[in-house]
Amino acid sequence: MALQVYTASLLKEGLVAYLSLKDGVPSWTADIREATADTADRLDSLKAAAESAEQDNIVVAPYVIDVLETENGWKAATKREQIRAEGPSFALPQDSSTAHRSDESRRAA
Amino acid sequence: MYQYSEQDHQLLLERVEQFRGQVQRRLSGQLSEDEFKQQRLRNGLYLQLHAYMLRVAIPYGLLSAEQMRTLAHIARKYDKGYGHFSTRQNIQYNWPQLEDVPDILDDLAAVEMHAIQTSGNCIRNTTSDPLAGVARDEIEDPRPYCELIRQWSTFHPEFNFLPRKFKIAVSGAIGDRAAVAVHDIGLRLVEGPEGENGFEIYVGGGLGRTPMIGKLIRPFLPKEDMLTYLEAILRVYNQLGRRDNLYKARIKILVHETGEEKFRELVEEEWQKIKATGLYLREQDVERIKGFFKDPDYETLPDTDAEFENQLLSNPEFARWADKNIELHKQSGYRVVYLSLKSANQPPGDVTADQMDAVADLADKYSLGQIRTTHRQNLVLSDVKLQDLPALWQELKALDLATPNYNHVTDIISCPGLDYCALATARSIPISKAITDRFDDYDFVNDLGDVSINISGCINACGHHHVANIGILGVNKKGEEVYQLTLGGSAREDASIGKIIGPAFDADQIVDAIGDVLNVYLENREEPEETFLATYRRLGQDPFKERLYG
Repeated sequence: MALQVYTASLLKEGLVAYLSLKDGVPSWTADIREATADTADRLDSLKAAAESAEQDNIVVAPYVIDVLETENGWKAATKREQIRAEGPSFALPQDSSTAHRSDESRRAA
Repeated sequence: MYQYSEQDHQLLLERVEQFRGQVQRRLSGQLSEDEFKQQRLRNGLYLQLHAYMLRVAIPYGLLSAEQMRTLAHIARKYDKGYGHFSTRQNIQYNWPQLEDVPDILDDLAAVEMHAIQTSGNCIRNTTSDPLAGVARDEIEDPRPYCELIRQWSTFHPEFNFLPRKFKIAVSGAIGDRAAVAVHDIGLRLVEGPEGENGFEIYVGGGLGRTPMIGKLIRPFLPKEDMLTYLEAILRVYNQLGRRDNLYKARIKILVHETGEEKFRELVEEEWQKIKATGLYLREQDVERIKGFFKDPDYETLPDTDAEFENQLLSNPEFARWADKNIELHKQSGYRVVYLSLKSANQPPGDVTADQMDAVADLADKYSLGQIRTTHRQNLVLSDVKLQDLPALWQELKALDLATPNYNHVTDIISCPGLDYCALATARSIPISKAITDRFDDYDFVNDLGDVSINISGCINACGHHHVANIGILGVNKKGEEVYQLTLGGSAREDASIGKIIGPAFDADQIVDAIGDVLNVYLENREEPEETFLATYRRLGQDPFKERLYG
């Protein structure tokens, strides 16, 4: 049975986030490798935590995605979700005079 | 350009404050996402694949230098230092945070800009010819009529919840640079039987999963009747357009299913009821709006310049750029300059904040302080003196905005595709880059001449692939991105929908396939002046199909 993780968009930032559940404590991380994965028949606690985060206005529209286990950790199974996890598949235009928002802004909620 | 009235300013500020309250209520949990979604969409705010996306309206593609600087400021302060010019002449920011959006709208309002009606089932930003007011083939400047449509359609209470989104384009020239045939309504200014100007009215054009060329439902409409006639069309659509099926809700489907003749009768019947109402355009009202678009005080200049001619003869690089990216101007001694947003170094239509600021400075320095955006995702400086072209070229080159490719093979229209868009099924930007990298040789580009390549990352066709000479549609087939080719499309006055040539190609095959198509053209054209489209229309699909699939 495929392993799955919960993902959503952070309400405030709009950025992609993945649900981590450690010792029953939920948090949202930008790094899919830090997400908590489980099989579809054992997702109850993850589902409850995701729905709770949506009700608490931390995330928008949580859903499950299939992930693959690699030597570097979880990797999304579909191209769409891989791009969503990793960002656009090319270098973004660079503005020399701007201190861009870094990936650090994708902080956990 | 149009200047806001006190009432316009007030309306905009009230709207920003209203949205600020909605955002605060959403963040505090007083509004659910379902409740908030309709509010944010009405203010151009989408939630895309990676982040929020804000679409800002650029009315009929016209920007002042000050507005461009504000767009740069927004990109720098609230986003990742760049913006993306879209095929509907708007700009999109890909990374704003929700709590910042009211402040962004505030900054926009300060320069008479907004994001109202850039999303949702309402009348969207009216688009037009980027050469409006300066084109040599112009019958009449379309911008005053675009502005009248903007004022009529903004917050129009009756048309705020249409069956589906609604797009209008207006052209005032013989050549169509606004793709009027693929809009819900397309208006073309034409000369009437008595020598007076009026409109040809096309209805039911569009792309997406059911591409259609607009039907000419009125060959001549007096200009004073423009708004009453548009109102009649919208009323028929609003009453009869389908609301039960998202994919059959556009007016093109209504026109198709009703039949062109019957639809025309319905519009004319409705029009008779309302043509003498307050929307009838009085001469003084039109003249007042025309006053905002008067010709600037052009200098009296000869249509030659010694230094320009010298540069053409002595500087091949300049000559290439001048050949491709400069257009004649109605005023002697002036030229229109296309700023290519299609270099090999950035995605099509993307511009950094630095580039935006620099373009604003160049507009002030060389082009009367105005910039236009084009539906092919480029920029235009519309009023450049011939004598200033060499200096302008040097500055554009330093900014990577002088790629000599306007309307040529590497001037690719591309939607954001799967790299940004929540609806996309395949990537388009990497394919456009691969094509550019393969064919980015001036001699080859020049030899190919006038040819268009457009790419869409899904069937919604935001990359206008249906109306490209060579169209590419990315789709997902069993988890893999594959690319379907269409040939023979055109978005110009000879508009046509391209036809699918055969089975789709894998991502690593599509650039070779494009190369094959271009080679068939080069081998079969009757003379160098015969364009790709003319050759295709003469030969049909067979030689292309034979080369691609053997």
